[in-house]
Amino acid sequence: MEVKSIGSFKELSKIFKIKEMGAIIGFVVIFIVFSILSPEFISWGNLLSTFTMAAELGIVAIGITMLMISGEFDLSVGSTFAVVPMVLALSINNKINPFLGFIFGIFLGAFIGYLNGIVTLKTEIPSFITTLGSMMFLRGILLAITGGFPIMLQEDIPFLKYFGGVCIGGLRYSGIWFIILAIIFAFILERTKFGNWTFATGGNLLASKALGINTNKVKLMNFIICSFMAGLAGITTFARFKIIDPTLGQGMELEAIASAVIGGTFLSGGYGSIIGTFLGAFMIGMVRSGLVLAGAPAYWYRAFIGIVLIIAAIINTKIRKKTAG
Amino acid sequence: MNNNLVEMKNIKKNFGKVQALRGVDFNIGRREIVGLLGDNGAGKSTLIKILVGYEKADEGEIYFEGKKVFFNSPKEAREMGIETVYQDLALVNLLPIWRNFFLGRELVKGAFLSIDEMKKITYEYLKEIGIFIRSPEETVFFLSGGERQAIAIARAMYFGAKLLILDEPTAALSVGETKKVLEHVMRVKEKGVSVIFITHNIYHVYEVADRLVILEKGVKVGDFKKEDVTPQEIMGMIARAAGVIV
Repeated sequence: MEVKSIGSFKELSKIFKIKEMGAIIGFVVIFIVFSILSPEFISWGNLLSTFTMAAELGIVAIGITMLMISGEFDLSVGSTFAVVPMVLALSINNKINPFLGFIFGIFLGAFIGYLNGIVTLKTEIPSFITTLGSMMFLRGILLAITGGFPIMLQEDIPFLKYFGGVCIGGLRYSGIWFIILAIIFAFILERTKFGNWTFATGGNLLASKALGINTNKVKLMNFIICSFMAGLAGITTFARFKIIDPTLGQGMELEAIASAVIGGTFLSGGYGSIIGTFLGAFMIGMVRSGLVLAGAPAYWYRAFIGIVLIIAAIINTKIRKKTAG
Repeated sequence: MNNNLVEMKNIKKNFGKVQALRGVDFNIGRREIVGLLGDNGAGKSTLIKILVGYEKADEGEIYFEGKKVFFNSPKEAREMGIETVYQDLALVNLLPIWRNFFLGRELVKGAFLSIDEMKKITYEYLKEIGIFIRSPEETVFFLSGGERQAIAIARAMYFGAKLLILDEPTAALSVGETKKVLEHVMRVKEKGVSVIFITHNIYHVYEVADRLVILEKGVKVGDFKKEDVTPQEIMGMIARAAGVIV
């Protein structure tokens, strides 16, 4: 009997050593709290629309998670999130082939990441500063071009349905993209050389270099992934609203970073999880819709997220001490 | 020619006006453990950096296995079988042992890592050379300094090192752990690998070394077979060269 109970205790502690445990616990707690506060919260309709909201943020957060694990930062994702669909909208409104506009927008997104990366790595400025600069620069350009007015899509573009349109019930295609991209990047991170190098680069830069890993290339690649994902997420939002406001995505960089941190990713690099980020973004979505359904004024949303973030960070730190030190 | 693994001849290196190395000859035989000693700034690490391709010598020649070589990067040296284990730069603490073991040399099947295979090899190879770990999935952070050194040494061995360079491997270790690392160094030699053991502490290296080389201010001031010298004499030599009167 004694032996058996020790064995099962070991099994249990093994489960608690999963990187994502903090995110899973937080997820369950928030889910239960809002289910009690409002029975409507657990309706399929609400859960699916919550998931859609989470998806647009979550796609950005996946990219930022990759970059943060490699030891860098991107504050410009909120601006990229608006610039890329703006390029698409302007292309369509100026009678340019929408598909070409789409390709160009996506390419521009990746290029913003490339520039962030090159400037950061060549000049050795902290990426916090580089991307703070590009965040302001891009937002300024956006406001200057639009004069601060929203741009409306002037014609119906069928292929946009596959980014922001309804798939089944309340589930939109953005939610499908979110799931697919989370799976792809979880695999890349955990099961490829590139993922291994991403962890190593953020975990111990000099040791990685000494082992012959091209750490600059790894970081640059993650800068590109991060901006690419932000642009793609922007397109899913645009495809849903068919209108784009030049202030779209403001403050999103912090929510994306919050998703990653709630999901267990280190601000200092070297540790993190895509599945954790997935749950983190979903949690932020749940808080948003849950508070509305519970009848709280919308202003409470940020306050609540702030508390969730801090509690999650505390729990994750405790768990990390057991798993990774 | 003779049967040395490495011969460095008349190596000179200046950094601006500072003469870091003033014509140093340095040889390592096959299956030989050489203790490389000297005070801070004596030129030990510059000499090693030149050997592994981090730095280029201003003058001098390097022969490896009798052939003249010129390494542009540590990677090229590693491909020839020269592995370096740095004191703090060996492992990524946040990663599990198996990921560290294969870092930069991962086994893949198509695009994906062969995780099970790498775990298995890590565990079995460490066991084979006398390093017992609980699990290859354990994070390096939880290992002691000695265990970390041992794993880094094992990794170099596994990937076919002919010459292993250890940079202050015992500097931060307790007495018991130092002893264990020294045992691993001996085992490395038994497998036919040569070792350069860089240290301040003659007592750490004396036990395992075949030969002791002392550098001071960019000049080789001593090159002894272990039998011909006592640790006290070496200590005195280092101290005198550094200007301390003993």
